[in-house]
Amino acid sequence: MIQLLVAGLTVGSTYALVALGIHIILRATRAINFAQGDFVVLGGLFALSFVSQLHVNIWVALLGSTALGFVLGALYERFILRAAARVNEGAVMIASIGTVYVLLYGHALIWGNEPQPLPTFSSAQQVQLGGATIAVQSIWVIALLAVMLAVLYVFFERTVYGKAIRAAANDPIGARLAGINVDRARSVSAAISIALATFAGTIVGPITLVGGSNGITITVKGFVGAILGGLASPIGCTAGGLLVGLIETLLGSRFAHDLVDPLVYAILLVVLLVRPQGLFGGRRIVRD
Amino acid sequence: MKARLRVDLRLQCAFAVLVVVFGIAGARDTALIQAATYGALYAVVAIGLSLLLGNTNLISIGQAGFFAIGAYAVAYLTASVTWPAGVTPGAQFLVASVLGTLIAGVLGLALGIIALRFSGPYLAMATLAFDAIVIGLLRYVPAFGGVSGITNVPYPIFGSITLSGPNAYWYAWLLVAVAAAATTAMLRGRIGRALEAIRNDPLAAEVVGIPVRRYTVGVFAYAGALAGLAGTFYASFLGLVVPDAVGVTVSIDILLMVILGGSGTVSGAILGAAVIAFTNLYGHSYQNLRPIAYGIAVICVAIFLPHGLVGLLWHRRNVKATVAPVDVPPAPGQTAHAKPQATTPWLEVRGVSKHFGGLVAVDNVSFALENGTVTALIGPNGAGKTTLFNAIDGVVHADTGTILVAGRDVTAWEPHRIARLGVARSFQSARLFGDMTVAENVATSAFATSGRTFDVGAALTRFGIASLRETPARDLAFGDRRRVELARSAAGRPDLLLLDEPAAGLNALERERLRTDIESLRGDGITVLLIEHDMQLVMDVSDRVIVLEFGSVIADGLPREVQTNPAVIEAYLGASA
Repeated sequence: MIQLLVAGLTVGSTYALVALGIHIILRATRAINFAQGDFVVLGGLFALSFVSQLHVNIWVALLGSTALGFVLGALYERFILRAAARVNEGAVMIASIGTVYVLLYGHALIWGNEPQPLPTFSSAQQVQLGGATIAVQSIWVIALLAVMLAVLYVFFERTVYGKAIRAAANDPIGARLAGINVDRARSVSAAISIALATFAGTIVGPITLVGGSNGITITVKGFVGAILGGLASPIGCTAGGLLVGLIETLLGSRFAHDLVDPLVYAILLVVLLVRPQGLFGGRRIVRD
Repeated sequence: MKARLRVDLRLQCAFAVLVVVFGIAGARDTALIQAATYGALYAVVAIGLSLLLGNTNLISIGQAGFFAIGAYAVAYLTASVTWPAGVTPGAQFLVASVLGTLIAGVLGLALGIIALRFSGPYLAMATLAFDAIVIGLLRYVPAFGGVSGITNVPYPIFGSITLSGPNAYWYAWLLVAVAAAATTAMLRGRIGRALEAIRNDPLAAEVVGIPVRRYTVGVFAYAGALAGLAGTFYASFLGLVVPDAVGVTVSIDILLMVILGGSGTVSGAILGAAVIAFTNLYGHSYQNLRPIAYGIAVICVAIFLPHGLVGLLWHRRNVKATVAPVDVPPAPGQTAHAKPQATTPWLEVRGVSKHFGGLVAVDNVSFALENGTVTALIGPNGAGKTTLFNAIDGVVHADTGTILVAGRDVTAWEPHRIARLGVARSFQSARLFGDMTVAENVATSAFATSGRTFDVGAALTRFGIASLRETPARDLAFGDRRRVELARSAAGRPDLLLLDEPAAGLNALERERLRTDIESLRGDGITVLLIEHDMQLVMDVSDRVIVLEFGSVIADGLPREVQTNPAVIEAYLGASA
């Protein structure tokens, strides 16, 4: 049971970070970023190159991969999302799907089609916990997720800059009148969102292997988590992402592999119909 | 809208010629013809999605799910089911194809009902989930062959004709022609105008008499059925079907075809499908570079060509329109066809209340209008005037009380049904259909008149907007917007006309024009209920004035009486000193 729980939370960590990233970009551009999962894959590959080409420690690789994600996110916003947002929200979504193709086949072009291993964050591989054997990396994943969430919380809730970004997302015109540079706030939002994705790709890389996979499934699962938890609430998104990981793992231990995804989607449809604001969301619901 | 339909039809004709030429000239290149055949089937799916996306703004990332249902219906029913002797493979195919199309259509209907509640990201996710569930079940249920799908699907044979093989190209494009013709006929007719109105402003569409929910669900069902139909041909042309060929990535591909070609047009869907079919064929030698180039193309289209490739031919930046001169018509009621005075009042409001949370917006309001008169509804801001309007024409439903239109209880009706009884309305903020021209806006009045035709040209002339005929509504100056909205609500000769602050923001000349217009409408026998803050106008045109304050009627009588009523003066000026 503990084993399943830890496995579920590990899988869910990626979804939680993706859901949170989707939420942040949604708030800034009012559109869904379908490329979120491909940035996760990219993050793992960045870390791989840091380790195998530059021969640095995996921790340095984590920092590097997250920083690269931040820069890439800012560029992505500046040159693709912002231009598409001038057309409409649909255009942002379509442009992000275009980006999926560029990233997906770009990965393959640079790093090849084969999944590759990434070193774990510590030399110990497994640990006994209440009679269950737990992969140490899973503990790292969950701990690092917690650290990241704490950092985000402090940034958005306790710093002036974080508050400015939230203000810019809530009411761009009002924020402009208050002297906030809304364009830059959007850039920083996207940068943080993509940094979360590459961070996620690096911490789970040692478990899932990196590269050779299709990011769109990660995006969709993160998206499911975001809607389950409440697309309008960052806490709901995180909880929803973790929940999807748990549900998936639990269903996977009971049912045939092919049935897991349809069941997850069926749960999603039911939640959409019964409680569209999400399980953990407040009353507000983002429309259009 | 007109320019788009014109270009669309011309392109379709051009494509038809191309298809014939290509079919004859390219007949020997099997790979090429095959690519064009499957391209045709995807084009049919894309045509449905194009209608959905371009005319209702509803997105679906689940069209391949419907395609899969059609394909598996034919594959399963013709390959795995034992038919009674004597049923020819052709007949089997027909039955299976009709069944597959129907199932897809019904599921489309179900998704359409979901779409009534969600839009944007939620709808995108719901449709994607639908496709994923369909594919998951197809993989899981053993009868459908799991990952390896169903093979040995027989070719449908009708006498000497085999609906497959080398001739599949022609049958597939014939199917496109049928789908294109049906969809184009829809777009050019009443349905197209209704969908365009809904896309621009669902609430205003509902109020002019368009059943928005029925159309939304209908379009979803139609798009689903088209995708299912294409799927049934796919399975029999290919002779097999596997789940991976109809998964979520195919749904995304179809979405991109429509975006690339241009949503809202039939030719755009065909062009997009053709472009993708051929890049798939020729791109194989470039492996990863092809999808990367494709992705870049998609990004560029999203940013630079929001109306797709076809949009290049019809979409132009709109030129600022000239403002129509305000001419005051000579005398009111010169076109009078006064309707016989019915004995039942066109509108009776009985004890109507409406709460929003703890706020009482309308509190136990009762009155009946005398037919053929102008009644003004006045009161301070927040008195509940607009809420009362909304309750009368069904935009909101009263908590208690009854609304009677021509003696019928319409309290719980939807706005479009009330509109069809002859109730028209204008909004405080002139809700026009921005992408439609002035003439098209006024023509939507016909939705409420259910068959009764009227002369759009005469209506335009009567309200002095004939010179703006072809101007897109979004380019109108403020005063003209209000006049066009008045024309739209009055053109269908309603029996009851609700005008919400029609004079707000008008200049003196426009206001004078409005006064004569209202008087002329009364001359036609139309009963008018008017919300207005402009007291001069109220006193000039009204036969009766009802005053609301905090949701209750505080005065009701002749304009002169109300003007001197102490309670009214207090409501407007505060307690007298």
